[in-house]
Amino acid sequence: MTAAETPPPLFQMEGVSKRYGGVRALEKARLEVVPGRIHAILGENGAGKSTLIKIMAGVVAQDEGRLLLDGREVAFRSPAEAAAAGIACVFQELSLIPDLSVADNIALANPPRRFGMIDRRAQRKLAEEALARAGAEDIHPRAAVKDLPLSRRQMVEIAKALASGPRALILDEATSALTAGDVAKVFAVLKRLRDEGLALLYISHRMHEIAELADTCTVFRNGRNVASFAAGSRSNSEIVEMMIGREYSNVFPPRQASARLASAPVLECRDLGWSDRLREISFSVGEGEVVGLGGLEGQGQRLLLLALFGVLRGTTGSVLVDGSPVAISGPAAARKPPLSMALIPEDRKTEGLMLPMTVRENLSFAALDRIARGGVIDRTKEEQSIDDMVRLLEIKTAGLDVPVGTLSGGNQQKVVIAKWLMRQPRIILLNDPTRGIDVGTKQELYQLLRRLAEAGAAIVFYSTDYDELIGCCDRVLVLYDGRVVRELEGDAISERALIASALNVEAGQKGTAA
Amino acid sequence: MSETSESRLSVKARLPGFLRRVDPAVLTAFGCILLLLLLGSLYSSNFLSPDYLLQQLKVASFLGVVAAGMMIVILLGHIDLSVPWVMTTGAMMACAAAGFGNAGASVAIPVGVLSGMAFGLLNGIGVAYLRIPSMIVTLASNVVAQGLMVVYTGGFSPQDSASNAIRWLATGALVPGVPNAIVVWIAVSAAMVFLLTRTAFGRAVYGIGNSERAAFLSGVGTRRVVMIAFVVSGGLSAFGGVLLAGYASKAAQAMGDAYLLPSIAAVVLGGTSILGGRGSYVGTVAGVILITLLQSILSVMQMPEAGRQIVYGIVIIVMLLLYGRAPPSR
Repeated sequence: MTAAETPPPLFQMEGVSKRYGGVRALEKARLEVVPGRIHAILGENGAGKSTLIKIMAGVVAQDEGRLLLDGREVAFRSPAEAAAAGIACVFQELSLIPDLSVADNIALANPPRRFGMIDRRAQRKLAEEALARAGAEDIHPRAAVKDLPLSRRQMVEIAKALASGPRALILDEATSALTAGDVAKVFAVLKRLRDEGLALLYISHRMHEIAELADTCTVFRNGRNVASFAAGSRSNSEIVEMMIGREYSNVFPPRQASARLASAPVLECRDLGWSDRLREISFSVGEGEVVGLGGLEGQGQRLLLLALFGVLRGTTGSVLVDGSPVAISGPAAARKPPLSMALIPEDRKTEGLMLPMTVRENLSFAALDRIARGGVIDRTKEEQSIDDMVRLLEIKTAGLDVPVGTLSGGNQQKVVIAKWLMRQPRIILLNDPTRGIDVGTKQELYQLLRRLAEAGAAIVFYSTDYDELIGCCDRVLVLYDGRVVRELEGDAISERALIASALNVEAGQKGTAA
Repeated sequence: MSETSESRLSVKARLPGFLRRVDPAVLTAFGCILLLLLLGSLYSSNFLSPDYLLQQLKVASFLGVVAAGMMIVILLGHIDLSVPWVMTTGAMMACAAAGFGNAGASVAIPVGVLSGMAFGLLNGIGVAYLRIPSMIVTLASNVVAQGLMVVYTGGFSPQDSASNAIRWLATGALVPGVPNAIVVWIAVSAAMVFLLTRTAFGRAVYGIGNSERAAFLSGVGTRRVVMIAFVVSGGLSAFGGVLLAGYASKAAQAMGDAYLLPSIAAVVLGGTSILGGRGSYVGTVAGVILITLLQSILSVMQMPEAGRQIVYGIVIIVMLLLYGRAPPSR
C-alpha cells in the first residue's frame, strides 16, 4: 500500500498488465479508488481506459499484477463475482431489456424470490428504493423500459447498478446519451452518492464535466498511468499535454506537394445529418486528396462513412459528386459509375469478408458484375483480375482456393482492399483499415493510399490512430458528438491539435483552426 | 458459420478435379449409400440388379428436383416449408390445364411450374423485402396454398388427369431403358451446378449465406438474390409435383406431404450447412439417393408402416446429429 490518504482505499490495482495478441493494452497500471471520492480517468483512444474498467468489473482477467479489495488480494473470474464484491458498472451501451418493466430490469440479475418464484411485491419495493437513490422517483417501476426516453433509461441503468448495493460504481461515458438538464440531475445524484461514501470511477471525454465533478484525475497513455492529481490543479492544456506522446513507430510516404487545391472537389457533402448522431457535416474531397477523420471513437466517424455510402436511411442534407447532387440508395448504387465509390468497412471479419469462402471468391465478389457476362462468370477475366490484385498488393496466401479466414489479419485486410480496387474506384472510404494488423502491412497500406491518391482517387480515411492521421492525410476533420468541430490542414495536423480538438477544448499555445 | 474446411468450397471452384478434394460429408453420404446397398443385398440379391437401381433413381428424381430448390434456399441460411402444398398446387394446376383440351395440355407443365413460382415470389417478397423470418412466411404460404387447393377441389380428389406430355416426362423413356424422370433430374442438376458455380448469382447465394452484411456492403443486391432464390425453389417444388402427377397419372390431395422433411434432410445430409453458405450440389444428390434407398429398404423389409416411419425419422435425426457434432475441420 502506497498512498497515505485519509480514508483507506477501497480498491487498488498494482502493476496490472494486459495484452491482446501482440498489442499491449495495459502496462503496469496502478489505480487507487477511495470511498467518498469521484475519480476521473482520462486518456485518448487506445490509452487503456476500457481495459482497465473491464478488469475491475471482472469482464477480462489481467495477465499480471494484483487487485486488492480492502487491502486483500482478490481475483474476479466473472462480472458476477465482481458484483458480489461490491463493484457495479454502468456502461455506455445500455444493458436494459426494452420489453421488460423497469422493476424487472432493475432486479434482473438477482430477483427477490419466495418459494422459488419472483416476489413481485419485494421486487417493486427494491426497484422503488433503487430509483429513489438514483434520484428518479418519477419513473414508475411498472413502466416498460421501451416507453421511456433515452435519458430516463440511463437513470434506470444507474438505479439497476445501485440495486445491488455496490461500494464502488464505475460510470463509463454514462452521460453521453443525456441532455444538459439530465446531466445536471445525474451530477447531483453522483455527488450525493459520493457523500454517502460510495467510491465512483468516472470515465468521460467531456472536460467540463470532469472539471465540475471529479475530485481526483488519473491520465492514461499507451496503457500506463502518466499522472494522478487533484482535480482543478491542472489546466486543460496541461492535461492535453499529458495525453500526448504516443510512440511513433511508423514511417509515412511523403505527402504530395501538388496544386491539388486547384482541382474541383470530387466528393462534397453539405449539411449532412442523420437523426441526432450526425449533424451539419459539410466538407469536400478533391482529386488526389486524402482527407482524414479524427476524434475519439464513436463520435460519428463510422456513421459518416456509412451515410456517404448510402447505407443509412433518412439522412438529411446533400451529397455531391463532381458538383452534382446524387441520391445514393445503397452500396449497389454507390459502387457503380459514375459514383464509383468503395467502402472498406470497419470489421473485416463480418463486414468485409466471407471468412469461410476462398480467397478467390472473396477477391472477385464485389466486381462480379464487371467480370460476368450475362450473369455468367468469365473465368479467364476473373483469373486475370485476381492475379493483378494479388501481385499489386502482395497478398501472401497458401493459394487462391484456401478460405480467406486462414490468412493473417494484415493479408485479410489486403483482400478487403483488393476486392474494391478491382473496381477501380474514384472515391475510397476507409474505416480504420489498419486496426489489428502488423506494422509491415501498415506501411504497405500507407504507401498504397498515397499511390492511389496520386493516381487521382479521392480518399476519406478514418483512423483511431492519430499517428496515421498526421502521417497520411492532407487534411483532417475532427468530429465531436456528430459534428465537425475542427478542420486541420498540412503542418497544423499535430498530435496536440488532434487531441485538443478531439476533446473539444482549446489547445493553448498551438491551437489551430482551418 | 465462420469455420469451415478447405475442401468444401473448392469443390465448386474446381469441379473437374473435384474427386480429389471432395467434402468429407459428401464422401460419408456416398459411403452410407454403398453400405445400404450392401445390407440390402445381404437381405435379397435383387438389390443390386439394374432394374431395381434404375427404379430407385426414378423414385429419387422427384425428391431430387424438389431438393435442388430447397438447397438454394438453405444455402442462403433460410428454409422453405411451403414445399408440400406448392408441390400439390403445381400438380393440380398442371392437371387442371390439361383438362382444357389440346391448347390446355400444351401449356400444362408451364402452368404448373408458374403457379409454384408465384408462391415462391410471395415467399421471397415476405423474406427479402418485408423481413419476415422465412420459417413463418413459407409455413403461412403452405397453408394458403392448401386452402386454395381445398377450395378448388372441394376437398375431393380432382378428376382431371395428367396430360400425355406430363406422363411421358415422368414415365417415358427417351433413352431406351432410362426413365425420363431421371433425365429430367440430370438436366435440373446440371443447371444447378452451373448456377451455383459459374454465375454471379451463385456466388452471391454463397456470399449471403456466409455473411449477408458483407454481401450487402459489397454492393450485391441481396434482397433481389433472396427473392429469386425463393422463386426458383417454388418453381422446382411445383415441377417436382408435376412430375409426381405424371408418375401417378393424376394429382391428389396432400401428395406433397411426404416431401418436406426428406428434401431438407437430403440437403443437410449432403453436407450443406443448415446455417447457410456452405455445401456442394453433389452432396445434395448423394443425400437424395441415400434417403430414397433408406425408404425403399425399410419397405422391402416389410416393416409395418408405423415402424417404418419411426425408424426413418430416427435415422435422419441420428445422421443430422452426427453431422452437426463433427468438429470444424480447419
